[in-house]
Amino acid sequence: GGLTFTFDCSAQNHVTSKLSFTVFYVKLYTEIHKPFSFRYKDLHVYQLEHPTQVLEWTSGNSVCVAGYSQSKNEILELRLPLKLLADENKSLCAERDFKVSHGGFTDGPVRCLTHIPGTRCAVTNDGLSSDLQVWDLGGEESDVIRRTGSIKGKRSASERGSRIAARPSSAPQVLHGAQISDVQLTELASGETLYKLETDSADPLSSLQFVSDTVFLAGCCNGSVYVADTRTSAPPQLSHSPSSAESVIWWTDAAAGPHPSSRRVIRVSSSGQAVVSDLRNLGGAGCQAQLDVQTPGRCSQVKVSWAPTLDDCISVSGFSGVVQIYNTRLWGAEPQEARPLFEHRGHAVSSQQTDDSVPTFVTSHIWHPERPRTLLSAASDGSVHVWDWVDPNRQGGSPTP
Amino acid sequence: MPEIKVTPLGAGQDVGRSCILVSIGGKNIMLDCGMHMGYNDDRRFPDFSYITQNGRLTDFLDCLIISHFHLDHCGALPYMSEMVGYDGPIYMTHPTKAICPILLEDFRKITVDKKGETNFFTSQMIKDCMKKVIPLNLHQTVQVDDELEIKAYYAGHVLGAAMVHIKVGSESVVYTGDYNMTPDRHLGAAWIDKCRPDILISESTYATTIRDSKRCRERDFLKKVHESIERGGKVLIPVFALGRAQELCILLETFWERMNLKAPIYFSTGLTEKANHYYKLFITWTNQKIRKTFVQRNMFEFKHIKAFDRSYADNPGPMVVFATPGMLHAGQSLQIFKKWAGNEKNMVIMPGYCVQGTIGHKILNGQRKLEMEGRATLDVKLQVEYMSFSAHADAKGIMQLIRMAEPRNMLLVHGEAVKMEFLKGKIEQEFSIDCYMPANGETTTVTTNPSVPVDISLNLLKREMALGGPLPDPKKPRTMHGTLIMKENVSFMLVSSEQALKELGLNEHQLRFTCHVQLQDPHSDADTLHRIYTHLKSVLKGYTIQHLPDGTVIVESIVIKVSSSAEDSNTKVLLLSWSYQVKTWTLFLEGLPMQSKPGSSPNHLVIESLF
Repeated sequence: GGLTFTFDCSAQNHVTSKLSFTVFYVKLYTEIHKPFSFRYKDLHVYQLEHPTQVLEWTSGNSVCVAGYSQSKNEILELRLPLKLLADENKSLCAERDFKVSHGGFTDGPVRCLTHIPGTRCAVTNDGLSSDLQVWDLGGEESDVIRRTGSIKGKRSASERGSRIAARPSSAPQVLHGAQISDVQLTELASGETLYKLETDSADPLSSLQFVSDTVFLAGCCNGSVYVADTRTSAPPQLSHSPSSAESVIWWTDAAAGPHPSSRRVIRVSSSGQAVVSDLRNLGGAGCQAQLDVQTPGRCSQVKVSWAPTLDDCISVSGFSGVVQIYNTRLWGAEPQEARPLFEHRGHAVSSQQTDDSVPTFVTSHIWHPERPRTLLSAASDGSVHVWDWVDPNRQGGSPTP
Repeated sequence: MPEIKVTPLGAGQDVGRSCILVSIGGKNIMLDCGMHMGYNDDRRFPDFSYITQNGRLTDFLDCLIISHFHLDHCGALPYMSEMVGYDGPIYMTHPTKAICPILLEDFRKITVDKKGETNFFTSQMIKDCMKKVIPLNLHQTVQVDDELEIKAYYAGHVLGAAMVHIKVGSESVVYTGDYNMTPDRHLGAAWIDKCRPDILISESTYATTIRDSKRCRERDFLKKVHESIERGGKVLIPVFALGRAQELCILLETFWERMNLKAPIYFSTGLTEKANHYYKLFITWTNQKIRKTFVQRNMFEFKHIKAFDRSYADNPGPMVVFATPGMLHAGQSLQIFKKWAGNEKNMVIMPGYCVQGTIGHKILNGQRKLEMEGRATLDVKLQVEYMSFSAHADAKGIMQLIRMAEPRNMLLVHGEAVKMEFLKGKIEQEFSIDCYMPANGETTTVTTNPSVPVDISLNLLKREMALGGPLPDPKKPRTMHGTLIMKENVSFMLVSSEQALKELGLNEHQLRFTCHVQLQDPHSDADTLHRIYTHLKSVLKGYTIQHLPDGTVIVESIVIKVSSSAEDSNTKVLLLSWSYQVKTWTLFLEGLPMQSKPGSSPNHLVIESLF
């Protein structure tokens, strides 16, 4: 537990009184190491009014979050604190707060939010059908995020809703679908369908992303992965699931590196199994591991992500209130237990949850696109953390400045 | 229409100075009188020309209320009261009254001595101004005059900060000043009851932020101190006597204990006396129903923190020193700074805002070479850290406060309207109230709906109840007749018309309207009347219709008589007469409607007929 201090208070003619308080924060930074060290270069902890399941960059220094309650919710665009971003004059900058630069209201939950690069436009899905809502994030003249339109999906009712991916360059287009046979590419301005994935399978999707301007990867919940090119109507490449276990759900992420050789795909299952393969050879031998996740099986919002600038690093969240970072270079061909390189336990330790029966779990996390070790993570209690972690292998005996 | 007017004084969109004028129920109140710290000319003062072009403000203001001792809320007070001229009451809490003059004097010294300004208030003016101050206790209603009353609520933020409830009759306004909704180590969170003011006025400077947690700020502070100590450096923390200093001491003490650190921590002696003095005031003030936690302790019973002696500054090895004044503009903190500035292992941590002209302000702007007295330059090699511990309400805090107070309208000052549309929408949606955002110099008029309490005479009440029908229902208003009398300029009474006439000694008069309608009918007068009677009885069911022996037909209170025209016995003339209370009626004759218009004279009767 925390430390308890009891103070005897008396001052001249006034009444003596005792006051005791418990110090929780000490846990946050003195958890593990001897000798004493600071595990974070930077750490910012925020409390949103309502929890978010989405974290999406809209620029190098702003993110979008949105609520997921049944009825009305808010979409917010938050600007990162100046102190975090000010590399040169960091010490002279006292500004540590998020700035709500734009905000808007939705009629339903937001389960997926994608920003269209090069625009002030975002596309959302409510997880109830496969229809998409289109938003204008606002500019200088107004701080209101407004709904500008919608895109009809194939399914009026869907258990998980659609995944959305924005085409990296060219005119605003979104790839979306709730299951693999629904995947289509829609042009935002006209609403025209430019491409449809030709397959009969009805597997629900857990991820959808572009790995180049025209090639995309669709990860199904059962672990199979499809790779296709929007320029052709040829059938997609299919890589089957690493496991045939029925009740296991899989999540996928592809590293979008500059070289084809660095384009790898990782798949993580709800039982904690992780499989890495090369994008050009998904079925081939890669490496695997059994992740050290607290409650395998009990998870619904797992997020797995390659670090944008750190080679071989991946991050995983959603199994509990912890975000874990692993170095896949240490993994071998045979699945072995892997220890995380770093764990961010902030959401579990300082949980603001009022209902103790459901423990706090991390709903989403993202890496900063340029700053090597900066991440954002959000949890079910409404907390949002921004953290810059210190690689314990690079650290010596004294804390890095 | 009854209305409340709110005008933030100032020019353009600049923030950083609070001074708001409120007109309510015929009273004019000024809320705060701040100085803009960014300007060096007259723009730093509020624009009083809005109130009057020249001359003193005493006749135009009923009172001035200061929310707390920060200079952007009270910095222009001596200028306003002694140079522009105001002799009316100035209200503030006890700690504000004690601390204000010290900060004003400090500020005056910096502005005049350091920056060489001439058109500024003097020390004597500060003293004279404070003589006009009437101190407030929390939750105590103060009658400014017969009609205007004010009450202070705890605001958190800094020692002595208050939110103010202003009431004239049944109209009221709450001004928040700066407040904080999350408790500190030494301050509680702001609190107010469900007072339901007509307007809640709040600063919106931080309204669109989401605050980083206190723990993270503290972690950062401890990390910086620890790093310096570890490399053998000295850490200087310039502080004001009371408030943040105690918080930071408690924090360091806890940390030192946990980490088993040995480096000494000192608290300069100048602080001790001042702090104890204010501490006494603090205790008196905070004994009045403060919510939640604050730390009551004897200032200097720390295990690891000792009193400072100035010779210690030359001791070798790491140490941490808390010293006044807070902006490094004079005194002990400046002396220590001069000694330690040349060593890059050392550090100075500025825990708050520094006024322009001070060393603190200069080093926070990145200046690394300082000009000291006697043309000597000081090379600033030590590390400079700016850390903000001040507590403001953010977007969530504003929503919390609105939930607590339940205002009928919301007014936000000091924000750019285009950047506040979302918050305005959020407030309007969640609470279904209007949210106003006036620019500086712009007046917002809010129409209020004050309820005026009226007594009703028992007779009248009984009579109404005797009429039967459903019980009084606010959703279904019923017309009643009575007379409203205002007695002795204060109380209202609703009485029956007869009673009113009696009290006023007046005679009752009755008004009746008449009109003539011509008909062609060969029958005798009596027969015609009888036919009309029978016809009406068949058509107007549910109405009281009587045929009286004196030759009249009465429908409710309308009287009908028939007589023959003098020229032609077949032309009958109907005389219709009704009292003024009958607004509209429709008379059906020969199956065709004849209708009066409300308030019409007989000449305007519209008759549709084809006889």
